[in-house]
Amino acid sequence: MDIALIGNPNTGKTSLFNNLTGSYEYVGNWSGVTVEKKIGKFKNNRAILIDLPGIYSLNPLSKDEGVVTQFLLTESVDKMLNILDASQLERNLHLTIQLLEYGKPAIIGLNMMDVALKRGIKIDPEKLAKILGVPVAPVVARTGKGCKNLEEVVTNGAAPLPNDKLVDYGQEINEAVKELSDLLGEKAKHSVRWLALQLFEGNQYVKRYLAGLLGADALDSFIHSVKSIILNKYNLPLDQYIFRQRKEMIEKIVLDAAQRSDQAKVPLTEKVDAIVTNKFLGLPIFFLLMYLMFMLTFDWLGFPLSDLLDGFITGTLANGVDSLLTAAGASAFIHSLILDGIIGGVGGVLVFVPQIFILFFFISLLEDSGYMARVALVMDRLMESVGLNGKAFIPMIIGFGCNVPGIMAARTIETPKERLLTILLTPLMSCSARLPVYALFVGAFFAGSKAFVVLSIYILGIAVALILAKVFSSTVLKGETSLFVIELPPYRLPQFRALSRSTWDKGKGFIKKAGTFIFAGSVFIWLLSYTGPDGVNVNMDNSFLAYIGGFLAPLFKPLGFDTWQAGASLITGFLAKEAIISTMNIIYFVPDEASLQGLLANYYTPLSAYSFMVFILLYIPCLATTATIYKETRSKKWTVFSIGYALAIAYVLALVIYQGGRLIGFH
Amino acid sequence: MLGNLKKGEKGKILNISGIDQLVRRRLLDMGITEGTEVCMKCLMPFGGPVMIETCGQCVAIRRKEAVQIEVERL
Repeated sequence: MDIALIGNPNTGKTSLFNNLTGSYEYVGNWSGVTVEKKIGKFKNNRAILIDLPGIYSLNPLSKDEGVVTQFLLTESVDKMLNILDASQLERNLHLTIQLLEYGKPAIIGLNMMDVALKRGIKIDPEKLAKILGVPVAPVVARTGKGCKNLEEVVTNGAAPLPNDKLVDYGQEINEAVKELSDLLGEKAKHSVRWLALQLFEGNQYVKRYLAGLLGADALDSFIHSVKSIILNKYNLPLDQYIFRQRKEMIEKIVLDAAQRSDQAKVPLTEKVDAIVTNKFLGLPIFFLLMYLMFMLTFDWLGFPLSDLLDGFITGTLANGVDSLLTAAGASAFIHSLILDGIIGGVGGVLVFVPQIFILFFFISLLEDSGYMARVALVMDRLMESVGLNGKAFIPMIIGFGCNVPGIMAARTIETPKERLLTILLTPLMSCSARLPVYALFVGAFFAGSKAFVVLSIYILGIAVALILAKVFSSTVLKGETSLFVIELPPYRLPQFRALSRSTWDKGKGFIKKAGTFIFAGSVFIWLLSYTGPDGVNVNMDNSFLAYIGGFLAPLFKPLGFDTWQAGASLITGFLAKEAIISTMNIIYFVPDEASLQGLLANYYTPLSAYSFMVFILLYIPCLATTATIYKETRSKKWTVFSIGYALAIAYVLALVIYQGGRLIGFH
Repeated sequence: MLGNLKKGEKGKILNISGIDQLVRRRLLDMGITEGTEVCMKCLMPFGGPVMIETCGQCVAIRRKEAVQIEVERL
């Protein structure tokens, strides 16, 4: 049995999903929309729960919201689980009624009754169930209270069909539904009334679906006639008329099922908001939080942990494997492959797992606590001045973890231009895979001010993104107004379970990649460095890798790093940014990170190291990011553009930094 | 106009038709339309967005939209 989980944003949907399902997985690419859907198995194994993006209405404004409509149009679903925020009942019921009109069995999970009570609203779930004709189960999604009962109700085989004619839209609409039904005949697979009502509200996805069945011209003339009938009789546009009818019904339902009393308390959220969105303190507080995040990731906590892990991998583990191989009588080839290729390459990336998980933990914390929306609010003025809106800052922060989900998060941006701009610029956010490169280089060259130097790289990424946003939005992406409306959810104390789950969700990809992509890449790079035109086991300066890297090296002379090693690692960096470190570990052929740092001093100066880091920050989106940009924009032109501008800006900036730095006396 | 309310002041929306259609749709989604009572929660500096509260939920919109929403001070 497939059950779809649908609800407004910020109603506790994700918490409920986590509480109802034991294990879950992401499944990519399903019909029509390229997006990942999250599906999980109920704890009692009786059904599958499909998590869908939060929406206010089935009539979508952003691409993200379109996913739900598309899902209802193309996928078969047995039941729908609609989660409601009891404290915002009226707003939530608009979606509920649209779902009931869809005509499939539905169950309502009534969340946040406690919040509603605090605001003086008391809802009677049984009365609500009777009016809507579907089961209503109260839950507390955050703590899991009531989830057991909800699970029983949801996965129980029989569910009554809902009252799908709850709202009477009047004689004219009924006749129009009948007319559409006659036009469609046997062709429609869904409730015609639902299709008609969505069409009348202006749902573009439903319109496209119906146009496919009836032809665009026939459909247009049908809509036109209904529009003029309603306009003549009620002096209202069709969509507003539908909305008004529904709203009147909802007001009646709420009057029946809920009791209000006046006992307003100032919620904690407002007290916190008085500080963090304060006129003067808003921005400083945001920067302070970012600073704390970086200090913890790079300095106070992350570095010591990574050092410990490095000690283990290059010490205990490498020595153990070494003596095991010697005892087994392995050939020099195997010996070198495993120790230099695999342990050097993969291990060199794995040592950064602690830092990356700390970073992901903070990003999850920002998301779960409700602060992320405040960031959008605080940043909007600045973003508006470069042709974006505050919401675009959220994909960028997520991009600090990994550019791929960052780019996908741009779906929540309503206007196509701002969305495209955000997609193009998110790769400039320094993702966690670039972090190992900085960690290595700051350790070697800027030991006294590690976090500060890394922070400067991150800020440079943001600054370049903002400047380019201004440039692009006033040249190649001109026109179209910018839009900013955002709901600011109440603050919620993040729960450890949810936090650890979402941290693991984000971080496991990094480990998986180390075990697969980086593993294979390391073997390949090691082979290239082990073989050359003269045969196998050559001096590395005569290997194939040296020839390939050496071919590019002269290009980078003006930037301060013209070794073949740099050239070779930049090529592999396109596959995955971590591969830069794997490649260096293999090339420089050293037992651990500390000696690699010592060795690097022979090849780089602090200035050229900084120039190299800046180049790594900007030069190209990695393979996975490039593929995501293509998937999201569906345009070869913009994908090529995203690579091209990045290369150009990286080269120019690294050049300015290196040459400029030399002029003013750095080296 | 909504944009002219001071922090902490309340108003009832009289006319919202002056603003961009997408913004209006989104506000409608959140239950904000003619007749809704709103409270100004904060105004960001340099003409930045404003945060308004209605029925216990907070929504932020830009100043330029807020100044086009007609309200009656309560």
